[in-house]
Amino acid sequence: MDPAGRPPTISPPPPRRSRRGFVGSLVRQATRSAATAPGRLAAIAVGLVTLTVLTGLVAALSLQQKVDTIDGLVTYDEPLSVAAQEIYRALSDADATAASAFLSGGVEPEGLRARYETDIARAGSALAKASADIGVAAGARAQVDVLSTQLPVYTGLVETARTNNRQGFPSGAAYLREASALMRAQILPAAQELYRMDADRLTRAQDDATDIPWLAVALAVSLAGAIVASQVYLTRTTNRLLNVGLVVASGAVLVALIWSTVALIIESVGVNDGREGGSSQVDALVRIRITALGCRADETLTLVARGDGPGYEQNFARNCGAVSGLGTPDDQLTRARHLADEAEAGAASCAIDAAIGNAKGWHETHRRIRELDDGGDYDRAVTMAIGMEEGNAAADFYELDTNLVNAIAAGRATFYEQTSKAGWALTGLVPGVVVLALVAAGATTMGIRQRLLEYR
Amino acid sequence: MRRFPVVLCAIALLAGGCGGVGAPPEPVTASSASRPLPEGVRFGDTAGGSQGGDTNCANPTASLRPGALAVAPGSTMATIAGKGRLVAGVDQNTYLFGFRNPASGRLEGFDIDVVGWIAKSIFGNGADLSKVVQYKVITSGEREDVLTRGEVDIVVRTYTINCARLQKVDFSAEYYTATQRLLVGKNSAVDGIDDLGGQPVCAATGSTSLAAIGAHPAKPTPVSVVNWSDCLVMLQQGQVAAVSTDDTILAGMLAQDPNLKMVGPALAAEPYGIGIPKGKEDMVRFVNAVLSRAMEDNTWQTSYNHWLGGTGQSAAPPRPKYRD
Repeated sequence: MDPAGRPPTISPPPPRRSRRGFVGSLVRQATRSAATAPGRLAAIAVGLVTLTVLTGLVAALSLQQKVDTIDGLVTYDEPLSVAAQEIYRALSDADATAASAFLSGGVEPEGLRARYETDIARAGSALAKASADIGVAAGARAQVDVLSTQLPVYTGLVETARTNNRQGFPSGAAYLREASALMRAQILPAAQELYRMDADRLTRAQDDATDIPWLAVALAVSLAGAIVASQVYLTRTTNRLLNVGLVVASGAVLVALIWSTVALIIESVGVNDGREGGSSQVDALVRIRITALGCRADETLTLVARGDGPGYEQNFARNCGAVSGLGTPDDQLTRARHLADEAEAGAASCAIDAAIGNAKGWHETHRRIRELDDGGDYDRAVTMAIGMEEGNAAADFYELDTNLVNAIAAGRATFYEQTSKAGWALTGLVPGVVVLALVAAGATTMGIRQRLLEYR
Repeated sequence: MRRFPVVLCAIALLAGGCGGVGAPPEPVTASSASRPLPEGVRFGDTAGGSQGGDTNCANPTASLRPGALAVAPGSTMATIAGKGRLVAGVDQNTYLFGFRNPASGRLEGFDIDVVGWIAKSIFGNGADLSKVVQYKVITSGEREDVLTRGEVDIVVRTYTINCARLQKVDFSAEYYTATQRLLVGKNSAVDGIDDLGGQPVCAATGSTSLAAIGAHPAKPTPVSVVNWSDCLVMLQQGQVAAVSTDDTILAGMLAQDPNLKMVGPALAAEPYGIGIPKGKEDMVRFVNAVLSRAMEDNTWQTSYNHWLGGTGQSAAPPRPKYRD
């Protein structure tokens, strides 16, 4: 219908007029038919059934989306963020290990070489995982490109350094510096960015999993309202107290509503527990681990540089309070401990406690290494930095790393358990809602058909 | 008639191009590889070069006359002896002069030997050098700074004596004479820096060589790096056409890679001296006495033969010049 205020000079184009004419005639027909009692009943039946089918469809789709999101959380988003952090960890550790191997002099110790090789193998494998699932995230592709093109270049430089070292040439150290610069300036930032993207996606997926499906809720509430209103109308016009069909339909809608609400509440609680006791912990611990790896690299590179030209020790002083375990304001380890306590993550708490002990020991050892080196006792400083015996920095650091790994594993287990449980809460809900919607639609049809028959 | 298939191909190509459905997606994004670069490399910039020629002074290589070899009470040497160690600014990346032996992890080379002579003169011949010498590895660009800040007692690091540096630090007498030359690939046609117009030539930041490249009329493109061994890396990676610096440093690179050759006429002489903080005259005289003795009693020659004997570099100790 034309709004009253429309200027008379503008007339609608002919095709629109004809469609409008068709719709208009339909509306006129319906209005005429609704003026009669049976017509009104038929209209109510069509309206209710349509609303029921629509509600059932929307509810089933949004619940299926939840099920998919939860499946994705445990099979896709979380493993992907773990792959991304493993890329960072392995590469950062490879860099620190290469520096340690260089410090140890001569042909590098078998253990360090093996550690480096394992790091590169794990980084490659994690990178393959990260690139296989790249499709959805456009920003991640750029990071994966940097990683996959520069990693072979890095390993090439390290091998060139190794060859020169074995021949006793100082150009080996130059190649190693170049490799380390490439790692720190290009590869590690890309890996860190990739991890950040994957961690953000995990958080977004968890938000999606705990969102209330508002459209479905609104439809279900209006459906319930419409059924009740129809029942009231029928009671008034037919003088019968209850229509069995509509009662069954109301029951089906009610059961669907209650079932969905309870299931979704259990699911949300599960996902939230998985986040607070699991993935948030893991994220905090991963960041700590990344910082600790950087600090270890700074520690060894200071000794490789022998004199603090490039400022590795300044880096250490600036960044490494975060992994000191001393409870200073910047200390992330102590904060992670509080987080774990709040989430009542017992296994993680224990591992973090142990890590705090290692971190304190490491920082004390680091202080002594600096004292020795600054005091002119370079050889003992090196021994203390790379020695694997108790009380040496390498031993402290590896223990710290192991305990962080344990805490991360505990967090991952919590995440997996809680999120899987959340998924179980939704078991059978989607087919259940579909069946209940069909029951409601069928019962509505039957109930009103019975009344309509009375007009024959 | 023979043109016909060509025409057909052209039509087919045109038809393919005009299909209107677009091109198939390109799954590979990388089209070229960038070669890695040493940390801190700079192109076309001589800001870090040490201009030796700009500041004129009469006879820069003439140092103070040698003093006694005994450590007098209250002297700078006595202070060093008192704190128990000699702090020496050295290099760990210049093969044959000051480098870290990757097999042992120890610093070695001709310059490191010179540090040893001085340390033994202060602490006695029986002193354990690994205990009484603290090496501080510095870059070319840091040499003046560590001396003026008093972070080291001496700098022995292929350190050319020139007037600009003499304004900030003191030098011992000359203990080695190097000359500027060029290092290029074995198959290179370059015969001197005149052939290198517009081409990248490498030198360390803070070296006289870097300033010389920038000032050369043939206008090569200066490429500055933190350590001399970075120049070798860039030459091996094909990123510079030549390395231009002292023949001593180049000889060390040549010893690490037989696919290179040293070319060009011997340009300006580069007299090496030991850097000492300004004003410590007693230390300068003491160090000069140590050097003078080493040149006379064959210590210098032994070290030379050990490190540089196989390289064909100047084989005789320089004749030190003194002023009073």
